[in-house]
Amino acid sequence: VPHSGSSMNRKKDKGFEICINNINFQRKSVIGYVELTIFPTVMNLNRIKLNSKQCRIYRVRVNDLEAPFIYNDPTLEVCHHESKQRNLNYFSSAYTAAVSAVDPDAGNGELSIKVPSELWKQGDEMKVMKVYIEFSLDQPKGGLHFVVPDVEGSMAERAAHVFSFGNQNSTRFWFPCVDSYSELCTWKLEFTVDASMVAVSCGDLVETVYTHDMRKKTFHYMLPIPTAAPNISLAVGPFEILVDPYMHEVTHFCLPQLLPLLKHTMSYLHEIFEFYEEILTCRYPYSCFKTVFVDEAYVQVSSYASMSIFSTNLLHSGMIIDQTPVTRHCLAQALAQQFFGCFISRMSWADEWVLKGISGYIYGLYLKKTFGVNEYRHWIKEELDTIVDYELKIGGVLLHPTFSGGKEKDNPTPHLHFSIRHPHTLSWEYYKMFQCKAHLVMRLIENRISMEFMLQVFNKLLSLASTASSQKYQSHMWSQMLVSTSGFLKSISNVSGKDIGPLIKQWVDQSGVVKFFGSFAFNRKRNVLELEIRQDYTSSGTQKYVGPIKVTVQELDGSFNHTLQIEENSLKHDIPCHSKSRRNKKKKIPLMNGEEVDMDLSAMDADSPLLWIRIDPDMSILRKVEFEQADFMWQYQLRFERDVVAQEEAISALEIFPTPASRLALTDILEQDQCFYKVRMQACFCLAKIANSMMSTWTGPPAMKSLFTRMFCCKSCPNIVKTNNFINFQSYFLQKTMPVAMALLRDVQNLCPKEVLNFMLDLIKYNDNRKNKFSDNYYRAELIDALTNSLTPAISINNEVRTVDNLNTDVRLILEEITRFLNMEKLLPSYRNTITVSCLRAIRMLQKNGHIPSDPSLFKSYAQYGHFVDVRIAALEAVIDYTRVDRSSSELQWLLELVHNDPVHYIRHEILSMLAKNPPFTKAADSLLCNEALVDQLWKLMNSGRMHTFNFSPRKFLWCLYGLNPSIYQSYLGQKPKQSPSLIGVAMAPLGLKRKAETPLSSSPEPGQVMQEEPSAKASVKSKVSNLL
Amino acid sequence: MADSVVMGSGSLNSGSRSGSSKTSTSPTENYQLARRRTLQVVVSSLLTECGFESAEKAAMETLTEMMQSYITEVGRCAKATCEHTARSTPTLSDVVITLVEMGFNVDTLPVYAKRSQRMVITAPPITNAPLIPKALIAGQKRTHPTYIPSHFPEFPDPHTYIKTPTFREPVSDYQVVREKAASQRRDVERALTRFMAKTGETQSLFKDDISAFPLIAAKPSAIPYLSALLPSELELQTLEETDSSEQDDQTDTENSSSNVSQDDQSADKENVVLPPGGVVPTGKANEENMIDNPYLRPVKKPKVRRKK
Repeated sequence: VPHSGSSMNRKKDKGFEICINNINFQRKSVIGYVELTIFPTVMNLNRIKLNSKQCRIYRVRVNDLEAPFIYNDPTLEVCHHESKQRNLNYFSSAYTAAVSAVDPDAGNGELSIKVPSELWKQGDEMKVMKVYIEFSLDQPKGGLHFVVPDVEGSMAERAAHVFSFGNQNSTRFWFPCVDSYSELCTWKLEFTVDASMVAVSCGDLVETVYTHDMRKKTFHYMLPIPTAAPNISLAVGPFEILVDPYMHEVTHFCLPQLLPLLKHTMSYLHEIFEFYEEILTCRYPYSCFKTVFVDEAYVQVSSYASMSIFSTNLLHSGMIIDQTPVTRHCLAQALAQQFFGCFISRMSWADEWVLKGISGYIYGLYLKKTFGVNEYRHWIKEELDTIVDYELKIGGVLLHPTFSGGKEKDNPTPHLHFSIRHPHTLSWEYYKMFQCKAHLVMRLIENRISMEFMLQVFNKLLSLASTASSQKYQSHMWSQMLVSTSGFLKSISNVSGKDIGPLIKQWVDQSGVVKFFGSFAFNRKRNVLELEIRQDYTSSGTQKYVGPIKVTVQELDGSFNHTLQIEENSLKHDIPCHSKSRRNKKKKIPLMNGEEVDMDLSAMDADSPLLWIRIDPDMSILRKVEFEQADFMWQYQLRFERDVVAQEEAISALEIFPTPASRLALTDILEQDQCFYKVRMQACFCLAKIANSMMSTWTGPPAMKSLFTRMFCCKSCPNIVKTNNFINFQSYFLQKTMPVAMALLRDVQNLCPKEVLNFMLDLIKYNDNRKNKFSDNYYRAELIDALTNSLTPAISINNEVRTVDNLNTDVRLILEEITRFLNMEKLLPSYRNTITVSCLRAIRMLQKNGHIPSDPSLFKSYAQYGHFVDVRIAALEAVIDYTRVDRSSSELQWLLELVHNDPVHYIRHEILSMLAKNPPFTKAADSLLCNEALVDQLWKLMNSGRMHTFNFSPRKFLWCLYGLNPSIYQSYLGQKPKQSPSLIGVAMAPLGLKRKAETPLSSSPEPGQVMQEEPSAKASVKSKVSNLL
Repeated sequence: MADSVVMGSGSLNSGSRSGSSKTSTSPTENYQLARRRTLQVVVSSLLTECGFESAEKAAMETLTEMMQSYITEVGRCAKATCEHTARSTPTLSDVVITLVEMGFNVDTLPVYAKRSQRMVITAPPITNAPLIPKALIAGQKRTHPTYIPSHFPEFPDPHTYIKTPTFREPVSDYQVVREKAASQRRDVERALTRFMAKTGETQSLFKDDISAFPLIAAKPSAIPYLSALLPSELELQTLEETDSSEQDDQTDTENSSSNVSQDDQSADKENVVLPPGGVVPTGKANEENMIDNPYLRPVKKPKVRRKK
């Protein structure tokens, strides 16, 4: 029964049974077996291919007959080690080939099982086959993660636990399966664990039975809803169990001692449930839901069928303000993915955008309902800015890639240093942007067809899927549970009757964003606004936009929307104005939202009735707009436009207008407590920038000081801050942000004004949290950040050694505070150790600015395994910065060592991505760190299967160091001191390459591995030399 | 009852011991030294009587000690005997009984006392009895009130019971209070962290002066998330305080139990006030045991396999 998704597959799963009967925490190993029932869809099925990585397979039986098998994982060594080709293009194509060779969607797999000949005849009759595989897993590098704290006691007392994790379809890392999102089957899962532990997995817990020696128990799970293997997960540990007080079929699990936090964190989940069920008019598809909070999680949230695994660091008590929205966002995301992503899976990788888009979109609806329209619009703008920045900088993000021939030449994204053919070959960052773009596009579709229709489409998808899922014996119906791009679009056109083809073509089938430049002139005679909108569609990551665009013009007589048509060759658009310019009549000015306000019109141009103009105010195009209008117009927009997006745009535009009027507009916004708090926070930083530009003409106290005093200090003694009371969150966030922004102020000597520094020291001194219901750890951390921001480079006389004696007095005060904070943190640790994190950053800044001796040892001790993850990241960031500034090869080695050996996957990945962000040297600069050994090391790192789940990170780092250029690092073969880099480049490079070329290429290509011919050596030498020059 | 004597002997002993060190000059010690010396003279004369010409110092000391113990014991027992008969001053017969009790033949005593070769020892030099230093006189000594007979003990020295109130106006100026609280807290914190830094391992920011700005060394912990996530005791304390104060503020009319709940109690309360639109049919708090959740069900016993 071939169907569109897996037409290449010659078999079909029906049932899957996995039994793990031994989990050894001491040895970090797992033993078990799987039994899958398959239903051949072709005649003469003689080979069965399954996915499996790093598992040791003991025996395979098909219908109780021993079956021979071959196991080959081409991704373990992507490029053959004797291969002399070393460049990212080559690697990328080899890696893509390797991944394709085992792609389950193409009917491939690492494990190839020969069906015993006795059964061949049976295959002809299309009988069911049962494949039984015994396997074990020893010290897994991916797929399953063991956390075994090194303390006394039994494994349960030590809070040892294990959980599955992975990037996309990575289930093959922990048991043999068809690791595809499009292969659905029903599941029976059994886990035998220590009696003190709980095994949480997908589906319904049917029963728990002791083993005969009563020392272990077996958890039996059943998942009758057809589910793809990548949506199966497992978590085992001595979890504390909390049944949700509102929904008894929902169970929460956390590590020992954290139950009070779990209770608080989860007290909110039922509202998210209600919200989704209401808007989708569909019940949660599974009969139960489980949340598990684990330590050392690689991602904050991962969703699987009927369960989600979260990072334990999302748990918080009721005293914590800042973490609360973050955690609720994560919960909402997880739940949205339960509907779209777990219950409804995808037909193929190219359809991924639909799932990510829908789950992201309904998550956005939740945000709008819970956190308000302002927060929602702010979020949309933020997401839009992120994707636009990424595409303009790195290159386009393609939502729906189509691969026609399968040749690398047809690569739709040649600008990227990775292939987007498989989820595994992608960069993480790209995937994040992909998800971001997907939900933005869904929002565009909503704009086009209305939200009502949108929700109807979702409902339709869900109800089809749930009908299909209940068809136990008609597995061909199950394809209804897989979403495809075409099916989704058909659904939209059926429900709404609208053709969204152009929209899909523009944003889904094509990558890139639109870049607009706008300017205008007012023609007084004709009373017409002459608007010019130009586009840049030649730079990378851009595309040409043709179609309607909305422009909103605020005039004296009111706000007017105009829809212009962007066409091939028309740049200029004439917009007739409604009002004559007149200013003397005192009359209120109507705004877009119907409000009428008094404005002081003295600032505006006497001849023009225009107050401000906005291009595409609803963000209905994925675009960047650079619009030119006069400073007073931006100021009016900031003060009177009620849309937070407009206010934020105005604030960023005002940065280049350092005038008293801008200052006043920003100050007014800051003071207005009806204004959205994030806008006010942004205004703080803009005000600091303006104040610095206006330094010579600035009058009065430093910016924001009197404002802060008025808002947060005692009436009787203005230098003392009130005792903390964070009950009003808006003012809490403002109170936190203002000092950080103020510390950016500089005086004529480019130092932080003494007055500001003393003010901040007083804030720290008089900080009193005794009467506060909330913890002040984030506030204190930001005060330390403020101190960090106030630092400026030390004046150094002939590079003297930094000693205690020649410490600047102000710096001494700062250091005094930081020391005290950091030490107090050891005695009374703050939530998520925020204060330690800020202190480490401050110390690095002191080092970097030459106030104290530069030394990485402190950071290295905080970067050790055993510190809280946030602290480790902050410390590692400091070490990486040190490596760059001091060009220390030993520190770089130390970091790479950690990348190899650290037990926490997230840290290993993060080190590389931080290195990529802040590289120790760049292509352009000549650095002693840049040598062949390093290239070798990185190459090995990405070429081996070591990095598993985040194979991408070393490539990204290498790319940041050297770019795509293939051979640049081969020129460093001879480690000679370089007097003139360009000269050596020419002299050394051919030599190095020749030597390489002479060594015989003895290796034969791996099976399933496509060895690609590279351009001849000569050509690459030329390109390299020219590049070096 | 016998305390005084025992104590006396104790103090004698201690006196003799401390007497061996040369520095002692207090009158009490002098007095005791003099007694001891006399005893030593007695012992040496007795030895001479017995015909010894010299003795080791250690032997001398031992004999002196024995002599002293013996005399002390006689005294103690005599006092005990006398007090047994409800008297306060021992008489000759008490001493005699004591000696008999101690196994001494009393009849031999007069003969021994009158022996011919008896050596006469000069009376010990008169030393001043130790002076009890006068206590500081504070206030007026109180006399008995009229209803207390005069033979009752006198009041103790006034310094043992009088109180002198010292009273200063409490500082009420807000600024000063805040200032004080802030600097006090800062001083405490600094002292505490300095102490911790001094007593444990430290890290330093400067190479030339390791003691400047000492940082308590970073120690990895096996389960780092516990201390990072759980509120510290101080925070819990504040939470309790603010919670209780809030409860005081709130009147019972307030019915919203929405946000403030952390502890079990309020969580239970929330169970009671489940929202009407809840997904689950509203359960009562006392039905909590009846929640049918597979993870709460008891673990089943394994099925017994019968061997055939």
